[in-house]
Amino acid sequence: MEPSPSIPGINCNAASAEAASFVERICLPFLRENQNPDGGWAFQAGHESRVEPTAWALLALQEFPSSAAAPDALDRGMRFLVDAQLENGGWPAASGDREGCWVTSLACWALQSQKEYAGNLVRGLRWLNDDRPGDSGFWWRMARKLAVGKGINAQNASFSGWSWTPHTASWVEPTCYAMIVQRREAKTPASDLTWRYKLAEAMLYDRMCPGGGWNCGNPRVYGVAGQPQIGPTVWALVALRENAQRPENRQSLAWLESNRDTVRSPESLALSHIGLGVYGRSKSALAENLHDFHPSAKLPWSVSAAAWTTLAFSESSRWLDGMSATRT
Amino acid sequence: MTREAPALLPPFVRPPSRVAIRRVLSYQADVAAVLHETLREFDPPVRGKVVLLKPNLIAIDPQGTTNTNPAVIAAAREAFLRLGAAEVLIGDGSGIDRDSQAILESMRLRDYVGPLAKLFVDLNVDDVERVVLKTRASRLKELYFPKTVRHADFLVSMPKLKTHHWAGVTLSLKNMFGTVPGGCYGWPKNVLHWAGIDRAILDINAAIRPDFAIVDGIVGMEGNGPIQGALKSTGVLIVGDDPVAVDSTCARVMGLLPEKIKHIAQAATLLGHIEVEKILQLGESIASVRSPFSVLRQFRHLRQDASGPIWTQNCL
Repeated sequence: MEPSPSIPGINCNAASAEAASFVERICLPFLRENQNPDGGWAFQAGHESRVEPTAWALLALQEFPSSAAAPDALDRGMRFLVDAQLENGGWPAASGDREGCWVTSLACWALQSQKEYAGNLVRGLRWLNDDRPGDSGFWWRMARKLAVGKGINAQNASFSGWSWTPHTASWVEPTCYAMIVQRREAKTPASDLTWRYKLAEAMLYDRMCPGGGWNCGNPRVYGVAGQPQIGPTVWALVALRENAQRPENRQSLAWLESNRDTVRSPESLALSHIGLGVYGRSKSALAENLHDFHPSAKLPWSVSAAAWTTLAFSESSRWLDGMSATRT
Repeated sequence: MTREAPALLPPFVRPPSRVAIRRVLSYQADVAAVLHETLREFDPPVRGKVVLLKPNLIAIDPQGTTNTNPAVIAAAREAFLRLGAAEVLIGDGSGIDRDSQAILESMRLRDYVGPLAKLFVDLNVDDVERVVLKTRASRLKELYFPKTVRHADFLVSMPKLKTHHWAGVTLSLKNMFGTVPGGCYGWPKNVLHWAGIDRAILDINAAIRPDFAIVDGIVGMEGNGPIQGALKSTGVLIVGDDPVAVDSTCARVMGLLPEKIKHIAQAATLLGHIEVEKILQLGESIASVRSPFSVLRQFRHLRQDASGPIWTQNCL
């Protein structure tokens, strides 16, 4: 397979040449071809546009702005996003929903490099700041500390992050997304970020599974250790990447590396390599394995898989923080 | 067109329900033949219709301990096709792992039913419709549901016979949590927990009304279910046209009192029968297959027999 030097942003050394070709031949065309007439993307081709896959697709396309048709696709996608924003600044998970949710973080993330939508971004960030999970209130925390069954899942009720939907509990993934967006916006050392950010960071470490890695946010239930999962582990590692030397990060990275070869889907494969790449670990296995998964007679390829694969091969890290990734 | 749900009826005006218990000792048995024979007795109205099988595919499960077994899913699909169904789809939306393909690959479902591209619907990311909840048992006023669920002609709940650390048991009613899309509510679908699990189960089932239930009890899970318990070989398939009656029968087989399992008792007020005398029992008797499941200490009051097993392994 010929390496493709034509896509700016892809490191075309021998190890990633095949990957570069894969992004050019498969991922970017897949994203462009599956953009809906309204400018958005669905989770899967042929379905209705939603905010979450649209945000992922836009983040991927922004990494390769000079690829064919990207500018038009970006413009139309951005317009879909801003049209979907609610009056209060949040974004809904599905059209017609009147309440914002975790996808607000993803929409803000996609808008962060687009100056013409700065007003939309500010309103989105304000919504995120105002959105408090149900488990962050004083009375809830007191009740939890005093509850007879408080040992059920052994979590520190003093910490909180962000929830999937308003007024519910803090969970790992939405907390990671919100932290990544805030960190990217702040352009200051993490130590200067808000108290809430620090509570969220503490929550993530508190929710780490024994032995490393994260699942949705239940590290231990009734004394039994929870099983980590690829997605939450990767997003937590990304959100906490400035603490690369902490033992928890190292332990979780080791879990991710040891499970890389057992991954059985393009989404988790791409995510695992995003996580490894952020910490400077080898991505070569991704290139070796991707062709096993696509073209796929197994399941239709998802927009998320295409976007994450594209991001996994991006060498720029612009989509993460506009600066070089932390290397260990 | 949206499937027309049957009316919500209190038990005293509802005709008796039918539940069949079939003994199947292993997944290597001819499960398809057993299910086909059983379904013929029920004669479900599926000829020319789209059937949606909703198994419990909650987690990556290479050992086959957690999810509805693929052999049972394949057998149900074959049986409905033999009964004349135009199309039999398979769909679920895990509440704890958003990577459906990883789940399907881990359990090798493709080896049993063929290519999944046009057969499997990831309910977490399907197109959705907003549904106003008529029962309002929980705090929820409305929920989004996948269009595939709303528009299927015949919806079949296919759980595994398991205990559940919040709800007591997870059977055909609780299994419908998997129809609530993670793409709208996240992983887990925490909005349902905050609204009250037991009441949310009633709201969901009243909104989408599964037509039929097939419970994989060949090997179930006891103790700290739905994913951290222990295998429990029960050697049965439990099948019926009333999910409340099926779950009540399952609970009795598990050595539990359905009247004390909150979500089953609440569902019995509007959706089906819980009383033994209102359930026409086909196949094996409950007594002949009864095999008490161990339960977490907080569910000890659910046991039929006060000396029934309590789960203590790895527990606080």
